[in-house]
Amino acid sequence: MSSLLRIRNLRVRFGNFPAVDGVDLDVEPGELLGIVGESGSGKSVTMLALMGLIDAPGVVTADALEFMGEDLLQVSPARRRQLIGRDIAMVFQDALSSLNPSYTVGAQIAEVLKIHLGLRGAALERRVIELLELVEIPDPVRRASAYPHQLSGGMNQRVMIAMAIACEPKLLIADEPTTALDVTIQAQIMDLLLKLQKERGMGLVMITHDLAVIAEMAQRVAVMYGGQLVELGAVPGLFERPRHPYTEALLAAIPEHNAGMKRLNALPGIVPGAYDRPQGCLLAPRCPHVQERCRREQPALVQGVRCFFPRGLS
Amino acid sequence: MKAPLLEARDLARHYRVAQGFFKPKATVKALDGVSFKLEAGRTIAVVGESGCGKSTLARQLTLIEPPTSGALLLNGKAATATPEMRRQVQMVFQNPFASLNPRKSIAATLDEPLAINTRLSKAERREKIELLAAKVGLRSEHLRRYPHMFSGGQRQRIAIARAMILQPGVVVADEPTSALDVSIQAQILNLFMDLQVEYGTGYVFISHNLSVVEHVADEVMVMYLGRAVEVGDKKRIFAMPLHPYTKALMSATPALHAADRRERIRIHGELPSPLNPPMGCAFHKRCPLATKRCAEDAPLLREVDGRQVACHEV
Repeated sequence: MSSLLRIRNLRVRFGNFPAVDGVDLDVEPGELLGIVGESGSGKSVTMLALMGLIDAPGVVTADALEFMGEDLLQVSPARRRQLIGRDIAMVFQDALSSLNPSYTVGAQIAEVLKIHLGLRGAALERRVIELLELVEIPDPVRRASAYPHQLSGGMNQRVMIAMAIACEPKLLIADEPTTALDVTIQAQIMDLLLKLQKERGMGLVMITHDLAVIAEMAQRVAVMYGGQLVELGAVPGLFERPRHPYTEALLAAIPEHNAGMKRLNALPGIVPGAYDRPQGCLLAPRCPHVQERCRREQPALVQGVRCFFPRGLS
Repeated sequence: MKAPLLEARDLARHYRVAQGFFKPKATVKALDGVSFKLEAGRTIAVVGESGCGKSTLARQLTLIEPPTSGALLLNGKAATATPEMRRQVQMVFQNPFASLNPRKSIAATLDEPLAINTRLSKAERREKIELLAAKVGLRSEHLRRYPHMFSGGQRQRIAIARAMILQPGVVVADEPTSALDVSIQAQILNLFMDLQVEYGTGYVFISHNLSVVEHVADEVMVMYLGRAVEVGDKKRIFAMPLHPYTKALMSATPALHAADRRERIRIHGELPSPLNPPMGCAFHKRCPLATKRCAEDAPLLREVDGRQVACHEV
C-alpha cells in the first residue's frame, strides 16, 4: 500500500533563511502523526508548503511532495485547487482570525460544499446542519446563521473543523487546534478530532508544542528543530526513551518531570535565527552533550535520530 | 501576630453593561466574593478557565480598579490607589509582545518606575538597572536595544525586571508563560523562583496550566464564574482534588505518561454567560454529580480535609 503522503527533501527558503531544511516524512492512511517543536522550528511552514500556502518571497522545493501518488509541485493549479480543501484540509490555530467576520458560519461551511461538491439548495442547507451536528454544536439550526463574533472560541474551532471535514478529506492537518482554548474545551475538541479520525479513517497530522497532547493521542511523532527533523519515532517509546538530546531536553523542561524539584531543567538559549545558524549540528550551541565533531559537521537522520551521539545507547 | 503581606476579604467586582438601547443595564458579577491571604515569599496560584474572573482579580489586586465591595489589605492596611501602595504591587502580563512600549529602549523602560517613584540620582538608577538586568539574564548591551529586537522569552525577562525594579512586596503574574515554548517557559519559571528566594516577594500566579501551577505554587485557588470553588494547600489539592470542577480540570489536562493520567471526568458544554448565571451552584449544569439541591441553593466554601471546598456533594 502506498503512503497517503510522501515528502522527500522538502525545503522552504525565505531569502537566505532555510525555514524548512530537507524534511522527509510519510503519513499512512488512518494514521495520527504528531509534529512537535518550539516556535520557529518549521513545523507549520512544512504543512503550509504542502497546502501550497507559501507566498513569495518563500521558495518551496522538494524531491517529492506526493499526495496519493500525485506530485503536488507538478500538478496544474486547477488540479491543486481541487485537491486542497477536498482531499487535504487544514484546521488553523486561531479560529476567530481564520473565519471571515462578515459571513455567517453556515455560509462559510456552505461555500466549501458548493465549490468542491456542487451542492445547492435544500441539500446544501441540510448538509451544513448535519456537519454542525457532527462537530457537536448545540442548536445547529440557529448557530448556522450566527457570525463568528457571536460564538465562543471553542465553538469557532468546531466550525473550522466542520469546514475542514465537509468533503470528507483523506488527510487532515491540524495546526495547534487547541492552543488558544481552555483545557476542558481542549479535551472536548481533541476527543472530537480523534472520533472523526477513527470513524472516517482519515490521516491526521497534529502540529503542537504540547508534548503531552501528542503523548496521549498520536501513534508516531516527529520532533523538529531549526527546520529539520531531529527525531522520528513511535509513541510512547520516544517519550519513554528519547534519543536526541533536543527531545530529551524538551521533555525534561516540562514541569511534570520536575516534581519536587525547586528548579526546572531548562534548555538554555533559543532556536537559531537567520543570522546565527550554526555550521555543524543546529543544536550544538545549546546542547549539554556537545562534542568537537558536532560543531564541524551536520549529522544526518539515521534510524530516526539526527545526532552523532544519540542518548541512551551507552 | 504579623499581618499577612496581602489579604483579600470578600473581594467583589461587578460591572454594569449595556444590553441594548432600550433595555436596562445588566450587572455582571465578574468577581463575586473572593478571600485569601498571601505571606511574603509564598506563591498562591489562581486557576480557572477564561471568563472565571482570574484577570478581574488581578486588576483588583494591582489597584487598577477599585473593588465594588470587600476589602484589600496590604501589610494590614487598607489598600488604596496611592503611589506608595502601588509601588508595593507590580504586575507581569501574559503577552510580552504587547506589554512593552516599542518606542522605549530597555534602559528607558526600566528607568521609568525608578524615576517616578524614587529620589535616586541618574547614576544610582543606572547602577540599579544594570544589577537587576544581570539578574534576569540580560547583558548590559541589551539595555540600549528596543523590544522588537528580542525574542518572547527575553521580552518576558524584561517585563519581569520592570516589575521587580522597585522591589515590590507582591507581584501579580497573569499567565506569564502561556505565550512561551516549554523550554523557554522553564527558563522563565526558574527566574521567578530565583527572584522570589532573593527578594522574598509574594506571588499571585494566574495560570490555566496545571502542571506549571503544581510546580510554582504553595497554595492553589480554583475559580469558577467569579467564585472560588476550592482553595488550599497545593499538595493536598493535587494529591486529591475534591470539587468536581477541580477534578474535571485535572483530568482534562493531558499527561505525558500513561501512569499519570487521571480517570477522565467529562464535562460538557462551556462556561455559562456571567450575564445570566445559572441559579444555585454555578457549575451544576456541567457537573456530573449535580443533584436537585445544586440547582436551588449555591454552596458556600467550607472546610473539608484541610482545604476549603464549595460543593454540596463533597
